[in-house]
Amino acid sequence: MRPELKEYNLDWMLASILSIAANLGNGTEKEWRNTIRYYPYFSGIVEPILNHGSVGASFLKLLSRSLNDIINARENGKKVVLTTFCMNTAIFHAMDITPVMLEVMTAISSLLFKRGATEYMDYCVELGFPDTGCSSQRGTLGAYLAGMGVDIDLVAVNMPGICDNNANAYAFAAEYLKKPFYALNYPAELVGPEARAYHRDDFKGLIAFLEEQTGNRLDVGRLEEILDEYKRQDALLSHIEDMMRLVPNPVPGIFNLFFYVGRWLYGGFPIYTELLQEMVAAIEKNIASGRAGIYNGEEKLRAFFFYIDNFALNARMWQWFDTHGISILGSILSRYFPDNSPYLPDMEAGYTIDTTHLDAMIDTVAEMNARNPMTRTIRGPYDAPYMWLEDTLSLAGMYKADCCIYSATPGCRNTWSNVKLITKDIEKHGYPVHIVHADGFDARVESWQKTAEQLEEFFTVRNLFKTNGRLK
Amino acid sequence: MIDTFIDALETAYNAEIEKWHTSGKRIVGYTCSFLPLEILHAADILPVRLRGIQPESLVIGDTYYGPFVCTFPKTILQLVGEGKYAFLDGAIVSTGCDAMRRLDECWRKADEDIAGILPPFFHYFDVPHKVAPHSLKWFTDEIKTVIGALERHFDVTLSNADLTRAIKAQNRIRHLIDTLNDFRASDICPLTGTDFYTAMIAGTVLPQEVYADGLTELIRQINENKDSAHTDKKRILISGSVCDDADLIRLIESCGCVVVAENLCFGIKDGDDRVAEDSEPISALARRYLAAATCPRMFGGYQDRLKLLKTKIEKFRVDGVIVQNVRFCELHSAENGLFERDLAALNVPVLRVEREYGPITETGRMKMRVDAFLEKMSRQRRVS
Repeated sequence: MRPELKEYNLDWMLASILSIAANLGNGTEKEWRNTIRYYPYFSGIVEPILNHGSVGASFLKLLSRSLNDIINARENGKKVVLTTFCMNTAIFHAMDITPVMLEVMTAISSLLFKRGATEYMDYCVELGFPDTGCSSQRGTLGAYLAGMGVDIDLVAVNMPGICDNNANAYAFAAEYLKKPFYALNYPAELVGPEARAYHRDDFKGLIAFLEEQTGNRLDVGRLEEILDEYKRQDALLSHIEDMMRLVPNPVPGIFNLFFYVGRWLYGGFPIYTELLQEMVAAIEKNIASGRAGIYNGEEKLRAFFFYIDNFALNARMWQWFDTHGISILGSILSRYFPDNSPYLPDMEAGYTIDTTHLDAMIDTVAEMNARNPMTRTIRGPYDAPYMWLEDTLSLAGMYKADCCIYSATPGCRNTWSNVKLITKDIEKHGYPVHIVHADGFDARVESWQKTAEQLEEFFTVRNLFKTNGRLK
Repeated sequence: MIDTFIDALETAYNAEIEKWHTSGKRIVGYTCSFLPLEILHAADILPVRLRGIQPESLVIGDTYYGPFVCTFPKTILQLVGEGKYAFLDGAIVSTGCDAMRRLDECWRKADEDIAGILPPFFHYFDVPHKVAPHSLKWFTDEIKTVIGALERHFDVTLSNADLTRAIKAQNRIRHLIDTLNDFRASDICPLTGTDFYTAMIAGTVLPQEVYADGLTELIRQINENKDSAHTDKKRILISGSVCDDADLIRLIESCGCVVVAENLCFGIKDGDDRVAEDSEPISALARRYLAAATCPRMFGGYQDRLKLLKTKIEKFRVDGVIVQNVRFCELHSAENGLFERDLAALNVPVLRVEREYGPITETGRMKMRVDAFLEKMSRQRRVS
């Protein structure tokens, strides 16, 4: 690792940059537009976010607060847990533990820095971690293994049974940093009494582990507050999902990023509720004026990402779709399956927030956890009930997608093992599918320019614009 | 070496499998060492561990799997597609790792294009990634589920007595493996790693009785003839990703060392402990197969696995350790990174290599790396 990179901790750098970004939103549009001219890379990410006015400003504030919470955690007397984006954080916050999510910080670094998090990724390899491991963890993991981040107290994940590479990265981190480790492990089936009983037992094991390692007790009142806030957030998210069904889609593509990052960082907190309320207002305004959520307001096509997004420098993916008039209908990252969501196939598929007593709350969080993006979608055979194919087809159908796109990282052993199969099945149902071979977090694998070229080729070769009839 | 073992090593449809097959008895393939073989033996079904030996190409494997995937499950799918496993009456795919568990879907989907390659009995066997009371219950339920599926499909009934009989027979085999393995702990080391590993692989595809007889005969031969001892060679332990043929061991030994110990998921791990014979058999199988697992898919168990490695290094007086992983096998690769660090701290020479799966791939590069490793060890010894 370059010596100069060791000058500042990664989380501290992100916190500093994001605090400036968050403050920009306090000024007038003229002020922030004049200011960002002096920050060539920084401007590229701030502009597409602040283009969305107060929503963008609130999102930047949320990000800034999150990084500040992390870097100040120890001074605030909190324990710090290294965890994955797919872990519901309610239980951590109810036990006064600050979560650090590798994937979120890698995504922010990839969006923000010209070189993304690649030098930290390479540092992981120097330490013995495989270069074929998923880049979403490797990015920030390198920084934490180098001691360039807040001190970690413990590691807790929920990926065994879902994604080997994710769980493996955290297990490696725990061993390398010599920290206690707990892993929730999921069976292939999502529903049924056995699965539910298992989720509960395993989750209780997590609570016992957290209590033992931190000395903190579960604050039942705090957990109830968090879950009540989740109820409000789920209602807002479901409303947004409902609005996304409209043609044209009034939801700006980049809002999907706001939904899921906001939920991972502050699910159960009022700051995220407020962000969602602002998003609802902006979307309703689009509906009232009959315009699409994309920048010029004219929707030509609708694309559903059936895995994850591409976090290339400066949110280029969202910008590319915007400039091509293509609405993004979200990805698996933006769906959580609360019982009031419009896409819920049946009640068993979803979770219900029940705060009547402690056991009910623990069951609730365990079931929410089991329905986070990957923990739900890719735990069992892709064509089994409630799994990847069923979700993809129902979401693509419900949101009237014109095509489906797979984007991931080469480190995703799980989905690369069956993406050709699901692609064939989705195509059989009439949706043209494009497989992106880039790395969502590492532009060295394939430049964004190349990715964009191939997207262009896909839309052209599959004659999508013409057959859709809404363009040209 | 026993001819039956060599045949079993080199041929997917070996003479013993052919004999079993032509006699009308059932054969079920399986993918991972987490499946309790005793349940198949108890039903008089021959378990055959699926290997990827001697494929003609990878065109079928590459058609269904994506590009960034380990070649081991791809090669199995290739052989399936080529009809090399047409003798199977069933197959059980376990959730060993992500790539291997997706063999379930790849196999089923390939059958839509290449009719008849899916055996009549096809089962997905879910395996927990940790040992806890609730995961043991889950695993026990999975074993009961597969037993029920076997009973229904093959019209057999598995009693506790049948299972206990099979457990005893398999424990006897484990005892014989231990006996064979113990020869390698002595200074004279009367058998090569290649021969030992051949015997280990044979155990994954032969009927219990045939295998036990072969092991007994091999032990007798070694006891009678210890002339071929390897006293002056470097003693190597090999660990890491799946290895389903003896060519890798042969290649290492061709560099002038002897492989005296392994930590690989074909073979010797099966000899490490016993299934309890005096308790309820399904629970006993669950405990043994889950709790004794030494695969890095059991997240959070690194220290136990390091301890096991240290024990083997000490017992077999290992001079150097080769940790290897197949490309895209991050479970072993990450663990190898930790082994490399921790063993080096103990002054144990370690060679870490990444390889492509397959018997004839990268021979020159691998040989050069092993040669260099042995040379480096010799120099270190002279200096010290």
